Amino acid sequence: MQPITVAIADDDGGRRARFEHSLQAEQGIHVLADVVTSPDEMTANRRLGTRTNMSAIDNLVARIRRLKPRVLLADMKQCTDADCAMLVSLRRECPETLVVLLADETEPQEERVMQALAKGARGYLNLEADPLHISKAVHMVDRGEAWVPRQMLGKVMDQVLHWCHAASIEANLDPAC
Amino acid sequence: MILLASPSADTLASWKRGVSDFAQVFCADSLDALKLSLERSKAQILLLDHDLPGVANPSEIADLIKLSPEVKIVVFSGTLADEAEWEIFKSGVRGCCHKNIEPKLLSTVVTAVLQGELWMRRTLTCRLLDELGKIALDQSKAKQATSDLLASLTPREHEIATLIGNGESNKQIALRLAITERTVKAHLTEIFRKLDVSDRLKLALIVTGSLSTLDQT
Repeated sequence: MQPITVAIADDDGGRRARFEHSLQAEQGIHVLADVVTSPDEMTANRRLGTRTNMSAIDNLVARIRRLKPRVLLADMKQCTDADCAMLVSLRRECPETLVVLLADETEPQEERVMQALAKGARGYLNLEADPLHISKAVHMVDRGEAWVPRQMLGKVMDQVLHWCHAASIEANLDPAC
Repeated sequence: MILLASPSADTLASWKRGVSDFAQVFCADSLDALKLSLERSKAQILLLDHDLPGVANPSEIADLIKLSPEVKIVVFSGTLADEAEWEIFKSGVRGCCHKNIEPKLLSTVVTAVLQGELWMRRTLTCRLLDELGKIALDQSKAKQATSDLLASLTPREHEIATLIGNGESNKQIALRLAITERTVKAHLTEIFRKLDVSDRLKLALIVTGSLSTLDQT
Protein backbone atom coordinates (compact mmCIF):
# COMPACT_ATOMS: atom_id res chain seq x y z
CA MET A 1 0.00 0.00 0.00
CA GLN A 2 1.23 3.48 -0.89
CA PRO A 3 2.00 5.57 2.19
CA ILE A 4 -0.07 8.70 2.73
CA THR A 5 2.03 11.73 1.91
CA VAL A 6 1.75 14.48 4.49
CA ALA A 7 3.15 18.00 4.44
CA ILE A 8 3.16 20.37 7.39
CA ALA A 9 3.04 24.13 6.98
CA ASP A 10 3.77 25.84 10.25
CA ASP A 11 5.76 29.04 10.84
CA ASP A 12 6.94 27.70 14.15
CA GLY A 13 9.92 25.56 13.15
CA GLY A 14 10.18 23.76 16.47
CA ARG A 15 6.58 22.72 16.42
CA ARG A 16 6.80 21.67 12.80
CA ALA A 17 9.79 19.49 13.60
CA ARG A 18 7.87 17.93 16.46
CA PHE A 19 4.88 17.14 14.24
CA GLU A 20 7.11 15.79 11.49
CA HIS A 21 8.98 13.68 13.95
CA SER A 22 5.90 12.11 15.49
CA LEU A 23 4.28 11.44 12.12
CA GLN A 24 7.45 9.98 10.62
CA ALA A 25 7.32 7.24 13.22
CA GLU A 26 3.87 6.22 11.96
CA GLN A 27 3.33 3.28 9.66
CA GLY A 28 1.83 4.19 6.31
CA ILE A 29 2.63 7.89 6.54
CA HIS A 30 5.37 9.63 4.60
CA VAL A 31 6.24 13.15 5.71
CA LEU A 32 7.37 15.55 3.00
CA ALA A 33 9.85 18.20 4.08
CA ASP A 34 10.58 21.60 2.53
CA VAL A 35 7.08 23.05 2.67
CA VAL A 36 7.48 26.31 4.48
CA THR A 37 9.50 29.24 3.26
CA SER A 38 12.87 29.59 4.93
CA PRO A 39 13.11 31.80 8.05
CA ASP A 40 14.97 34.51 6.09
CA GLU A 41 12.22 34.71 3.52
CA MET A 42 9.63 34.83 6.26
CA THR A 43 11.27 37.79 7.97
CA ALA A 44 11.65 39.58 4.67
CA ASN A 45 7.99 39.00 3.93
CA ARG A 46 6.90 40.30 7.30
CA ARG A 47 8.92 43.46 6.81
CA LEU A 48 7.30 44.16 3.46
CA GLY A 49 3.78 43.88 4.82
CA THR A 50 0.47 42.92 3.25
CA ARG A 51 1.40 42.80 -0.41
CA THR A 52 3.86 40.03 0.29
CA ASN A 53 1.31 38.22 2.40
CA MET A 54 -0.25 37.41 -0.93
CA SER A 55 3.05 36.26 -2.33
CA ALA A 56 3.57 34.14 0.79
CA ILE A 57 0.32 32.40 -0.11
CA ASP A 58 1.38 31.98 -3.74
CA ASN A 59 4.66 30.65 -2.50
CA LEU A 60 3.09 28.01 -0.32
CA VAL A 61 0.57 27.07 -2.98
CA ALA A 62 3.35 26.68 -5.55
CA ARG A 63 5.29 24.40 -3.22
CA ILE A 64 2.24 22.31 -2.43
CA ARG A 65 1.48 22.01 -6.14
CA ARG A 66 4.98 20.69 -6.67
CA LEU A 67 5.03 18.32 -3.68
CA LYS A 68 1.43 17.10 -4.15
CA PRO A 69 0.92 15.84 -0.59
CA ARG A 70 -2.27 13.89 0.03
CA VAL A 71 -2.78 15.71 3.34
CA LEU A 72 -1.57 19.18 4.28
CA LEU A 73 -1.56 20.15 7.93
CA ALA A 74 -1.67 23.91 7.79
CA ASP A 75 -1.15 26.26 10.70
CA MET A 76 -4.09 28.66 10.64
CA LYS A 77 -4.53 29.67 14.21
CA GLN A 78 -6.93 32.50 13.59
CA CYS A 79 -8.68 31.38 10.39
CA THR A 80 -8.31 34.95 9.12
CA ASP A 81 -9.40 36.20 5.71
CA ALA A 82 -5.88 35.61 4.43
CA ASP A 83 -6.11 32.02 5.65
CA CYS A 84 -9.40 31.61 3.81
CA ALA A 85 -7.87 33.07 0.66
CA MET A 86 -5.13 30.47 1.02
CA LEU A 87 -7.71 27.69 1.30
CA VAL A 88 -9.46 28.91 -1.82
CA SER A 89 -6.28 28.95 -3.88
CA LEU A 90 -5.20 25.59 -2.50
CA ARG A 91 -8.50 24.07 -3.53
CA ARG A 92 -8.20 25.60 -6.97
CA GLU A 93 -4.54 24.84 -7.58
CA CYS A 94 -4.11 21.59 -5.69
CA PRO A 95 -7.50 19.89 -5.63
CA GLU A 96 -6.04 16.50 -4.73
CA THR A 97 -4.50 17.84 -1.51
CA LEU A 98 -6.75 17.63 1.55
CA VAL A 99 -6.22 20.42 4.06
CA VAL A 100 -6.47 19.97 7.82
CA LEU A 101 -6.10 23.09 9.89
CA LEU A 102 -3.93 23.28 12.97
CA ALA A 103 -5.92 25.51 15.25
CA ASP A 104 -4.84 27.23 18.43
CA GLU A 105 -5.17 25.47 21.75
CA THR A 106 -8.02 27.75 22.64
CA GLU A 107 -11.22 26.72 20.93
CA PRO A 108 -11.28 28.52 17.57
CA GLN A 109 -14.18 30.81 16.85
CA GLU A 110 -17.14 28.95 15.45
CA GLU A 111 -17.89 31.21 12.48
CA ARG A 112 -14.24 31.20 11.52
CA VAL A 113 -14.15 27.42 11.54
CA MET A 114 -17.40 27.33 9.60
CA GLN A 115 -15.91 29.65 7.01
CA ALA A 116 -12.76 27.55 6.71
CA LEU A 117 -14.81 24.37 6.30
CA ALA A 118 -16.96 26.08 3.66
CA LYS A 119 -13.76 27.02 1.82
CA GLY A 120 -12.66 23.42 1.65
CA ALA A 121 -10.80 22.51 4.85
CA ARG A 122 -11.45 18.86 5.68
CA GLY A 123 -11.04 19.26 9.40
CA TYR A 124 -9.11 20.87 12.20
CA LEU A 125 -6.75 19.73 14.89
CA ASN A 126 -5.68 21.25 18.12
CA LEU A 127 -2.05 22.38 17.91
CA GLU A 128 -1.40 20.60 21.16
CA ALA A 129 -3.13 17.45 19.97
CA ASP A 130 -1.87 14.08 21.01
CA PRO A 131 0.38 12.69 18.19
CA LEU A 132 -1.90 9.66 18.13
CA HIS A 133 -4.81 11.91 17.23
CA ILE A 134 -2.85 13.55 14.47
CA SER A 135 -2.03 10.30 12.74
CA LYS A 136 -5.60 9.10 13.19
CA ALA A 137 -6.85 12.33 11.64
CA VAL A 138 -4.47 11.91 8.70
CA HIS A 139 -5.76 8.39 8.04
CA MET A 140 -9.41 9.39 8.31
CA VAL A 141 -9.05 12.43 6.07
CA ASP A 142 -7.14 10.30 3.55
CA ARG A 143 -10.15 7.97 3.45
CA GLY A 144 -12.32 10.92 2.51
CA GLU A 145 -13.82 11.52 5.92
CA ALA A 146 -13.93 14.80 7.77
CA TRP A 147 -12.08 15.34 11.05
CA VAL A 148 -14.55 17.59 12.78
CA PRO A 149 -16.05 17.14 16.27
CA ARG A 150 -19.67 15.97 16.29
CA GLN A 151 -20.70 19.15 18.05
CA MET A 152 -19.35 21.21 15.16
CA LEU A 153 -20.94 18.82 12.64
CA GLY A 154 -24.25 19.65 14.32
CA LYS A 155 -23.62 23.34 13.69
CA VAL A 156 -22.60 22.68 10.09
CA MET A 157 -25.83 20.74 9.52
CA ASP A 158 -27.82 23.62 11.04
CA GLN A 159 -26.13 26.02 8.63
CA VAL A 160 -26.78 23.82 5.59
CA LEU A 161 -30.45 23.38 6.55
CA HIS A 162 -30.82 27.08 7.25
CA TRP A 163 -29.53 27.98 3.79
CA CYS A 164 -31.61 25.30 2.07
CA HIS A 165 -34.66 26.57 3.91
CA ALA A 166 -33.97 30.21 3.01
CA ALA A 167 -33.54 29.22 -0.64
CA SER A 168 -36.84 27.37 -0.68
CA ILE A 169 -38.67 30.34 0.85
CA GLU A 170 -37.23 32.63 -1.82
CA ALA A 171 -38.21 30.20 -4.55
CA ASN A 172 -41.78 30.25 -3.27
CA LEU A 173 -42.08 34.02 -3.12
CA ASP A 174 -45.35 34.95 -4.69
CA PRO A 175 -44.72 37.56 -7.38
CA ALA A 176 -48.22 38.97 -6.84
CA CYS A 177 -47.71 40.08 -3.27
CA MET B 1 -38.45 13.15 27.98
CA ILE B 2 -37.76 10.46 25.40
CA LEU B 3 -40.17 9.20 22.82
CA LEU B 4 -39.66 5.78 21.23
CA ALA B 5 -41.52 4.87 18.06
CA SER B 6 -41.42 1.47 16.43
CA PRO B 7 -43.99 -1.05 15.18
CA SER B 8 -41.98 -3.84 16.82
CA ALA B 9 -42.47 -4.60 20.50
CA ASP B 10 -39.02 -6.22 20.62
CA THR B 11 -37.33 -3.10 19.29
CA LEU B 12 -39.16 -0.91 21.80
CA ALA B 13 -38.17 -3.23 24.65
CA SER B 14 -34.53 -3.23 23.61
CA TRP B 15 -34.46 0.57 23.26
CA LYS B 16 -36.10 0.90 26.67
CA ARG B 17 -33.24 -1.06 28.19
CA GLY B 18 -30.76 1.29 26.53
CA VAL B 19 -32.38 4.49 27.78
CA SER B 20 -33.31 3.23 31.25
CA ASP B 21 -31.11 5.95 32.80
CA PHE B 22 -33.34 8.68 31.46
CA ALA B 23 -36.47 9.93 33.15
CA GLN B 24 -39.79 9.58 31.38
CA VAL B 25 -39.81 7.28 28.41
CA PHE B 26 -42.89 7.06 26.21
CA CYS B 27 -43.57 4.53 23.48
CA ALA B 28 -45.62 4.72 20.31
CA ASP B 29 -46.26 1.77 18.01
CA SER B 30 -47.99 3.59 15.16
CA LEU B 31 -47.68 6.88 13.31
CA ASP B 32 -50.95 8.16 14.76
CA ALA B 33 -49.90 7.39 18.31
CA LEU B 34 -46.56 9.06 17.61
CA LYS B 35 -48.16 12.22 16.21
CA LEU B 36 -50.44 12.43 19.20
CA SER B 37 -47.52 12.12 21.62
CA LEU B 38 -45.49 14.68 19.70
CA GLU B 39 -48.30 17.20 19.86
CA ARG B 40 -49.15 16.62 23.48
CA SER B 41 -45.79 16.06 25.10
CA LYS B 42 -42.64 18.10 25.18
CA ALA B 43 -40.37 15.31 24.06
CA GLN B 44 -36.73 16.39 23.70
CA ILE B 45 -35.71 13.42 21.62
CA LEU B 46 -37.44 10.86 19.45
CA LEU B 47 -35.94 7.51 18.55
CA LEU B 48 -37.68 6.61 15.32
CA ASP B 49 -37.76 3.22 13.65
CA HIS B 50 -37.49 3.77 9.90
CA ASP B 51 -39.79 0.77 9.43
CA LEU B 52 -42.67 2.50 11.17
CA PRO B 53 -45.35 2.75 8.46
CA GLY B 54 -45.63 6.32 7.22
CA VAL B 55 -42.08 7.60 7.81
CA ALA B 56 -40.21 5.92 4.95
CA ASN B 57 -40.09 9.16 2.99
CA PRO B 58 -37.83 11.98 4.29
CA SER B 59 -40.61 14.50 3.70
CA GLU B 60 -42.78 12.53 6.12
CA ILE B 61 -40.06 12.86 8.73
CA ALA B 62 -39.92 16.60 8.01
CA ASP B 63 -43.67 16.73 8.74
CA LEU B 64 -43.04 15.18 12.16
CA ILE B 65 -40.48 17.91 12.88
CA LYS B 66 -43.08 20.51 11.93
CA LEU B 67 -45.41 19.05 14.55
CA SER B 68 -42.80 19.50 17.23
CA PRO B 69 -39.90 21.69 16.07
CA GLU B 70 -37.94 21.27 19.29
CA VAL B 71 -37.69 17.50 19.12
CA LYS B 72 -34.39 15.97 18.06
CA ILE B 73 -34.94 12.88 15.94
CA VAL B 74 -32.63 9.90 15.61
CA VAL B 75 -33.60 7.45 12.88
CA PHE B 76 -32.87 3.72 13.20
CA SER B 77 -32.77 1.65 10.05
CA GLY B 78 -31.06 -1.19 8.33
CA THR B 79 -28.01 -0.33 6.23
CA LEU B 80 -28.88 2.53 3.91
CA ALA B 81 -27.07 3.89 0.86
CA ASP B 82 -25.21 7.16 1.47
CA GLU B 83 -27.65 9.02 -0.73
CA ALA B 84 -30.74 7.77 1.14
CA GLU B 85 -29.20 8.52 4.52
CA TRP B 86 -28.16 11.99 3.44
CA GLU B 87 -31.74 12.72 2.33
CA ILE B 88 -32.93 11.69 5.79
CA PHE B 89 -30.45 14.10 7.38
CA LYS B 90 -31.68 16.86 5.09
CA SER B 91 -35.16 16.42 6.51
CA GLY B 92 -33.69 17.74 9.77
CA VAL B 93 -32.92 14.65 11.85
CA ARG B 94 -29.97 14.78 14.25
CA GLY B 95 -28.77 11.23 13.88
CA CYS B 96 -28.96 7.96 11.97
CA CYS B 97 -28.05 4.62 13.53
CA HIS B 98 -28.19 0.99 12.64
CA LYS B 99 -31.22 -0.84 14.00
CA ASN B 100 -29.23 -3.45 15.84
CA ILE B 101 -27.47 -0.94 18.04
CA GLU B 102 -26.15 -2.09 21.40
CA PRO B 103 -28.35 -0.77 24.24
CA LYS B 104 -25.19 0.64 25.85
CA LEU B 105 -24.23 2.63 22.75
CA LEU B 106 -27.81 3.84 22.48
CA SER B 107 -27.52 5.84 25.67
CA THR B 108 -24.29 7.42 24.35
CA VAL B 109 -26.11 8.43 21.17
CA VAL B 110 -29.01 9.94 23.11
CA THR B 111 -26.71 11.95 25.36
CA ALA B 112 -24.62 13.21 22.44
CA VAL B 113 -27.62 14.25 20.35
CA LEU B 114 -29.23 16.00 23.31
CA GLN B 115 -26.01 18.02 23.62
CA GLY B 116 -26.33 19.21 20.02
CA GLU B 117 -23.98 16.73 18.41
CA LEU B 118 -24.75 15.24 15.03
CA TRP B 119 -24.70 11.44 15.04
CA MET B 120 -23.61 10.83 11.49
CA ARG B 121 -21.39 8.03 10.28
CA ARG B 122 -17.96 9.27 9.37
CA THR B 123 -18.22 8.35 5.70
CA LEU B 124 -21.08 10.82 5.30
CA THR B 125 -19.25 13.73 6.95
CA CYS B 126 -17.41 14.69 3.77
CA ARG B 127 -20.76 14.84 2.03
CA LEU B 128 -21.87 17.34 4.65
CA LEU B 129 -18.76 19.48 4.13
CA ASP B 130 -19.14 19.30 0.33
CA GLU B 131 -22.70 20.50 0.68
CA LEU B 132 -21.58 23.36 2.94
CA GLY B 133 -18.90 24.35 0.42
CA LYS B 134 -21.33 24.20 -2.48
CA ILE B 135 -23.93 26.36 -0.77
CA ALA B 136 -21.31 28.89 0.34
CA LEU B 137 -19.98 29.09 -3.22
CA ASP B 138 -23.49 29.54 -4.68
CA GLN B 139 -24.12 32.27 -2.17
CA SER B 140 -20.98 34.20 -2.94
CA LYS B 141 -21.61 33.84 -6.68
CA ALA B 142 -25.17 35.06 -6.26
CA LYS B 143 -23.96 37.98 -4.18
CA GLN B 144 -21.43 38.86 -6.87
CA ALA B 145 -24.06 38.63 -9.61
CA THR B 146 -26.37 40.88 -7.63
CA SER B 147 -23.75 43.51 -7.03
CA ASP B 148 -22.75 43.37 -10.71
CA LEU B 149 -26.36 43.98 -11.68
CA LEU B 150 -26.78 46.81 -9.19
CA ALA B 151 -23.61 48.34 -10.59
CA SER B 152 -25.26 48.49 -14.02
CA LEU B 153 -27.79 51.02 -12.74
CA THR B 154 -27.24 54.73 -13.29
CA PRO B 155 -26.66 56.80 -10.12
CA ARG B 156 -30.26 58.03 -10.28
CA GLU B 157 -31.66 54.53 -10.77
CA HIS B 158 -29.52 53.31 -7.93
CA GLU B 159 -30.87 56.05 -5.71
CA ILE B 160 -34.45 55.10 -6.54
CA ALA B 161 -33.79 51.38 -6.10
CA THR B 162 -32.37 52.10 -2.64
CA LEU B 163 -35.47 54.09 -1.71
CA ILE B 164 -37.67 51.22 -2.89
CA GLY B 165 -35.54 49.02 -0.62
CA ASN B 166 -36.47 51.34 2.25
CA GLY B 167 -40.12 50.70 1.45
CA GLU B 168 -40.97 54.11 0.05
CA SER B 169 -43.86 54.60 -2.38
CA ASN B 170 -43.50 56.19 -5.82
CA LYS B 171 -45.14 59.31 -4.45
CA GLN B 172 -42.71 59.60 -1.54
CA ILE B 173 -39.78 59.05 -3.88
CA ALA B 174 -41.06 61.70 -6.29
CA LEU B 175 -41.38 64.19 -3.44
CA ARG B 176 -37.99 63.41 -2.01
CA LEU B 177 -36.17 63.70 -5.32
CA ALA B 178 -38.29 66.60 -6.57
CA ILE B 179 -39.31 64.79 -9.75
CA THR B 180 -42.71 63.72 -11.06
CA GLU B 181 -44.22 60.36 -10.23
CA ARG B 182 -44.19 59.64 -13.94
CA THR B 183 -40.43 60.03 -14.02
CA VAL B 184 -40.11 57.70 -11.01
CA LYS B 185 -42.20 55.12 -12.88
CA ALA B 186 -40.07 55.49 -15.98
CA HIS B 187 -36.93 54.93 -13.91
CA LEU B 188 -38.53 51.92 -12.24
CA THR B 189 -39.41 50.35 -15.58
CA GLU B 190 -35.78 50.68 -16.59
CA ILE B 191 -34.59 49.24 -13.23
CA PHE B 192 -36.97 46.26 -13.55
CA ARG B 193 -35.67 45.65 -17.06
CA LYS B 194 -32.01 45.79 -16.05
CA LEU B 195 -32.47 43.59 -13.01
CA ASP B 196 -34.97 41.33 -14.74
CA VAL B 197 -37.51 41.56 -11.92
CA SER B 198 -41.23 42.09 -12.23
CA ASP B 199 -42.29 43.75 -8.99
CA ARG B 200 -41.08 46.18 -6.32
CA LEU B 201 -41.07 43.59 -3.53
CA LYS B 202 -38.45 41.54 -5.31
CA LEU B 203 -36.51 44.68 -6.13
CA ALA B 204 -36.63 45.70 -2.46
CA LEU B 205 -35.39 42.27 -1.38
CA ILE B 206 -32.53 42.39 -3.88
CA VAL B 207 -31.50 45.87 -2.79
CA THR B 208 -31.54 44.94 0.89
CA GLY B 209 -29.51 41.83 0.11
CA SER B 210 -32.07 39.31 1.29
CA LEU B 211 -32.73 38.01 -2.20
CA SER B 212 -30.08 37.27 -4.75
CA THR B 213 -30.90 37.51 -8.42
CA LEU B 214 -29.67 33.95 -9.07
CA ASP B 215 -32.24 32.48 -6.69
CA GLN B 216 -35.15 33.67 -8.71
CA THR B 217 -37.13 31.03 -10.46
